[in-house]
Amino acid sequence: MTAHTDDGTPAVQSPAPLGDWQGLSTLSVWANTAAGGVPTMVTAVIGTVALIAAGQGAWALAPVPAGLALTALMTWIELVRLRATRYRVTSERMEMRSGILATAHRSIPRDRVRSVDVAAPIHARLFGLCAVTVGTGEAVGSGSDQLQLQFVTAEQGERLRRELLYRRPAASGGAAGATPEDRAGGAAEAGEEVEVELARLDPRWFAYAPATTATAGIGIGAIATLLGANAQSEGRMWLWLSERAGLPDSAEIASYVMARLLLVVPTFLAGLLLSGVVVLLAVAVETWWNYRLTRSADGTVRLRRGLLTSVSLSVEGRRLNGVVLHEPFVLRTAGGADVRAVATGLSAGDDRRTSAKSRLSPAMPRARALELSADLTRTRNSPLEVSLAAHPRAALRRRFTRAGIVTVLGAVAAAGAAWLHTLANEAFWEAVYRIEERLSPVPVAARSVAAAPLWVWAVAAVLLGAAALWYAVGSYRGLGHGLHPRYLVVRKGMASRDTVALERSAVIGWRITRSPLQRRAGLAHVSATTAAGEGVYTAADVGLGQGLAWAHEAVPGLLSPFLVRVGPSEEEPRPT
Amino acid sequence: MSTDTLRLRPPRNRVNGKAVLWWTANALLVVLPLTAALVVPALFWEEGRPWLLLAAAAIGLPGLAVTVVMPQWRYRVHRWEITDDAVYTSSGWLWQEWRVAPMSRIQTVDTKRGPVQRLFGLASVTVTTASAAGPIEIAGLDSALADATVERLTETTQATAGDAT
Repeated sequence: MTAHTDDGTPAVQSPAPLGDWQGLSTLSVWANTAAGGVPTMVTAVIGTVALIAAGQGAWALAPVPAGLALTALMTWIELVRLRATRYRVTSERMEMRSGILATAHRSIPRDRVRSVDVAAPIHARLFGLCAVTVGTGEAVGSGSDQLQLQFVTAEQGERLRRELLYRRPAASGGAAGATPEDRAGGAAEAGEEVEVELARLDPRWFAYAPATTATAGIGIGAIATLLGANAQSEGRMWLWLSERAGLPDSAEIASYVMARLLLVVPTFLAGLLLSGVVVLLAVAVETWWNYRLTRSADGTVRLRRGLLTSVSLSVEGRRLNGVVLHEPFVLRTAGGADVRAVATGLSAGDDRRTSAKSRLSPAMPRARALELSADLTRTRNSPLEVSLAAHPRAALRRRFTRAGIVTVLGAVAAAGAAWLHTLANEAFWEAVYRIEERLSPVPVAARSVAAAPLWVWAVAAVLLGAAALWYAVGSYRGLGHGLHPRYLVVRKGMASRDTVALERSAVIGWRITRSPLQRRAGLAHVSATTAAGEGVYTAADVGLGQGLAWAHEAVPGLLSPFLVRVGPSEEEPRPT
Repeated sequence: MSTDTLRLRPPRNRVNGKAVLWWTANALLVVLPLTAALVVPALFWEEGRPWLLLAAAAIGLPGLAVTVVMPQWRYRVHRWEITDDAVYTSSGWLWQEWRVAPMSRIQTVDTKRGPVQRLFGLASVTVTTASAAGPIEIAGLDSALADATVERLTETTQATAGDAT
């Protein structure tokens, strides 16, 4: 079971005791030089070739020396940075000194360490190095709650990971004078033996990777990049290619395409989808290869993943305050979901990056995701499966109103477009075709628009209205809130539905907000604030009384002094 | 079906009455320069005058309405209360917000005095918790009262164990 730890043997290797100041690995200079220098030199060589091809012989001498000089400069800066950076781990604190002109000294009490992230990007991995990021969960300023060592040897990284998060179950302060590495060694031994596996990659899960709304979009991105390059060269790229390969030129393609529009357009769309699928599969394999999620004896949850960039993220068990079931629309339709952590010390600047860093699983079948969430929360039935209360009808009406506004705006835009369409004359279309022919080797978009009858605009407007209505109903159905004996649960979202289970003991306050329209409709956003994850988890558009009752029951005592009962409540005694 | 019987009661204390003046001053500091930036050129540039004056009216009149209505409205909404266990505040005018934070989860307590606030002898008390929801602010307290409040909160929170997360 310890096949993954080729370096997992107890700490016989200890060149310097951890309590001493030590530097980063000297190899990190080489790793960073390789990372920066290789692309620089490749660019320089390409530049030289291009200049020679263009007949600028004298200038062709410049790129390579310039690239070398730049690489040398980067290496020198790296060396200086390396010399200036020192860190140490004592029995109480982790400290780091860094900086050349402005020196910084950062110090984190060890009991404030919430997560340790060991990542080895490909260029570091080649040299046996890794970057260690220590998260504290003290969100002061932007992202400054983290301390990063770039790079240390894989061995040191592993040791830091084990040591920084290990908490002796009790009486840890007893042997203050004991050498830290002794304790770490013993802990690691014990930890590895009773590590429980929560999840392991099933390659079939990769089938869910392309199930995103962006699949076609990413395909468009890939193709648009090519088209963009073609347009940059004023169409010469395609001309060159078609001459070499004997392919037809743009004009021929255009006439061919226009003759067989019904065949070419679906083929083109299928091509978009296919290239999107390929890109997304590749990203998923790179991200989730070797995926393993384990829990060690002291409760620390450890995530390992990555093909080229290997990542190991450890979160202290006590700081894992909840789980999120993340179901984007297409994935949900395909019956998949992924699991994210609600944990302190994983914040990374903004919500999106925090959420990306919190991913604990790839997209997997929903049932498996729920099972995993039950394991993570140490409950028999996942708190994510508790039955959720629906929100009042007024919440649905709000969504209908929004859908109505979108429909009206869409209708106005469609009417405007139709009006412009009737105004456009031959000369205008000719100009548009010419522009498109320059940009695209398959110039069909403008011709299709020009050929479309006017009622298409009406159809577009109606379709938009129908989609808006459907979205409104979907987002209302997505709303819900509920309680589990240890967790509170909120759900929302249509395009991306998140069901969040947050430990009730992790709630550190409440926030209730109401807009003028919400006050009229008797609704409110009732949010639990917490130190973990995104910091606020909201039951959106809940009935005010309903939401307050829920909050009151979730964390007894906190809200109760500020609540009053009003109205005809006598006939309905609540069981709280 | 009527669970709709629970309501939040307003926190016990109003903010200082001078806060109305402070909010008015704040609103004027935004509205006046914006309007002036349109009116002043109108005095010198005859052809553009109607348009500039129209734009000035479009900004100035709603601005004036906000300046008159907003401070009174805020004064009715903004309230605060500190019990032995929690800090409870309400704020806002069109969009309103109620916040509750337990003493045991408070990390830092500060006072803040902006230049305009100082003009009216006011201060804000800012209570930070570990949440990303942002600090709880009691804006527009009498300066001395703000200091006393901070002192009281600091004492209470220091007496409470835990690392506030």
